[in-house]
Amino acid sequence: MPSILHRRLLPLVVPGLILAAWIGATSGEGAPLQVLVPPSAVIDGFNELLSSGELADHLRASLWRLLTGFAIGASLGLGFGILLARSALVAAYTGPFFQAVRQVPSIAFLPMLILLLGVDEGFKLAIVAKAAFFPVALATHDGVKGISKGWLEVAAIYRLSPVRVLLRLILPATVPPVLTGLRLGLTRAWIVLVAAELMAAENGIGQMMEMGRQMFRIDTVMVGVALTGLIGFALDQGFRLAERRLVRWKTA
Amino acid sequence: MSLIAEFPPNFVHADRIDDHDPPPAWLVALVKRARGLLLPVLLAGLWHWASTIDASTAYAFVPLDQIGDRLLLLLSSGELAVNAGSSLGRALTGLALGGLSGIVLGSLMAGFPMVERLFGPLLQAFRQVPLLGWLPLVGLWLGSGEGAKQLLVAVAAFHPLLLNSYEGFAQAEKKHLEVGRVLMLSRWRTFRFILLPTALPSILTGIGQALAFAWISTIGVELLFGTGAGLGSLMHTAQMAGDMGVVVLCVVAIGLMGYGLNLILSLVRARLLRWRVTG
Repeated sequence: MPSILHRRLLPLVVPGLILAAWIGATSGEGAPLQVLVPPSAVIDGFNELLSSGELADHLRASLWRLLTGFAIGASLGLGFGILLARSALVAAYTGPFFQAVRQVPSIAFLPMLILLLGVDEGFKLAIVAKAAFFPVALATHDGVKGISKGWLEVAAIYRLSPVRVLLRLILPATVPPVLTGLRLGLTRAWIVLVAAELMAAENGIGQMMEMGRQMFRIDTVMVGVALTGLIGFALDQGFRLAERRLVRWKTA
Repeated sequence: MSLIAEFPPNFVHADRIDDHDPPPAWLVALVKRARGLLLPVLLAGLWHWASTIDASTAYAFVPLDQIGDRLLLLLSSGELAVNAGSSLGRALTGLALGGLSGIVLGSLMAGFPMVERLFGPLLQAFRQVPLLGWLPLVGLWLGSGEGAKQLLVAVAAFHPLLLNSYEGFAQAEKKHLEVGRVLMLSRWRTFRFILLPTALPSILTGIGQALAFAWISTIGVELLFGTGAGLGSLMHTAQMAGDMGVVVLCVVAIGLMGYGLNLILSLVRARLLRWRVTG
């Protein structure tokens, strides 16, 4: 019995202490409001952002950018990954350049894209697409390369057309690694999007936080931090769930 | 393929009239390798062509010779070296500070379930926030100086090493630990001769991830804070001034340095894990 209590309660000790210290530091003559506000103020701030519809606008802007950019980058990555794995010619001509660009973290491309595309939607979609493209292309390439030679030979013996080989063999066989690549691409795209919005945006979660910082609204910043974490977590977990459902046949 | 192999070579090539010697192997290899250069050269050519259209495109696509001039300038003034050194130092300091705390806490969490229960769920929750998402909060608390940057880079290096060393230490085999108990090894010796070798591959994997994260975050925090020295700050200033040449050079330098760091690490890793191959 005490061991169950132990297991359930111990994880709450440290967060509880932090919360107590937080309340203690902000009650009475505590820290100045620009540095720390009491937890209740953060909740109030959250309610205010929620009821004014401000939060919904920021969320909508961020998620729209994320999904559009991701859709572009991921589908390009999927196509390129298959080409890279299936065609020796494509691999010889584009492989080295692909590997070289992959070495540069997405975030380092932000200033370049701002100079090329301006600070409007274009550069945000481009950076999200870029962040999604590489993990998806790489995972697809590895997945296609991993297809057993025997299967391809059987397909050749049956004289399947390239389209059928693609639809009936390559796509199903690469589902598990590609899903992992898509998940990686989506979470990376989210991280880079937040950074891009911190740098230059009219709206979005990142911009909300940046404005909060400039106006010393620590409650807004804290709401933003919690939301970025929650969204990232939800995207990752949602994808993991989809992976488990889609590749059920593998374990069965 | 196998069909062709069954015929004598002169049969396959009978339709070719030329009697010339085949090109030397080194030339074939060179041409094969050079194929990879075609795309970047082509893109550079397009870039240069775009710079010549008119003034508005020349703003974004700076002529290649201007990038060359910028490179010479950055090199001769020592600006590139100073900023690259600053970024490198920040990344490595962050790796050392954050990484060591990650290893210590990870090994404690693996060794003492109590520590794991106290800190595990909390750290797991904190890990969900993208590192740069912390930036506005850290900026409010610590300003945009060296302390804030170093803290964020250290946190970036902390998580991968925490996870990997926890996993590494947790997978120590029971029978090995039992042998240690039979031999009545001291706590330190158990750690040194049983736990550490078991965990080492995992920790090295963690160092690799932590180094990559530390490098990316270094560039990120420099870019977003835009203060002090560093390749990210240099790039930030250049972007504000519309100096595409310097921005491009920074991107290349960041990629090369990241690649170099990774290369060095994989050499170290191969050396440290020699015993695994021979054993």
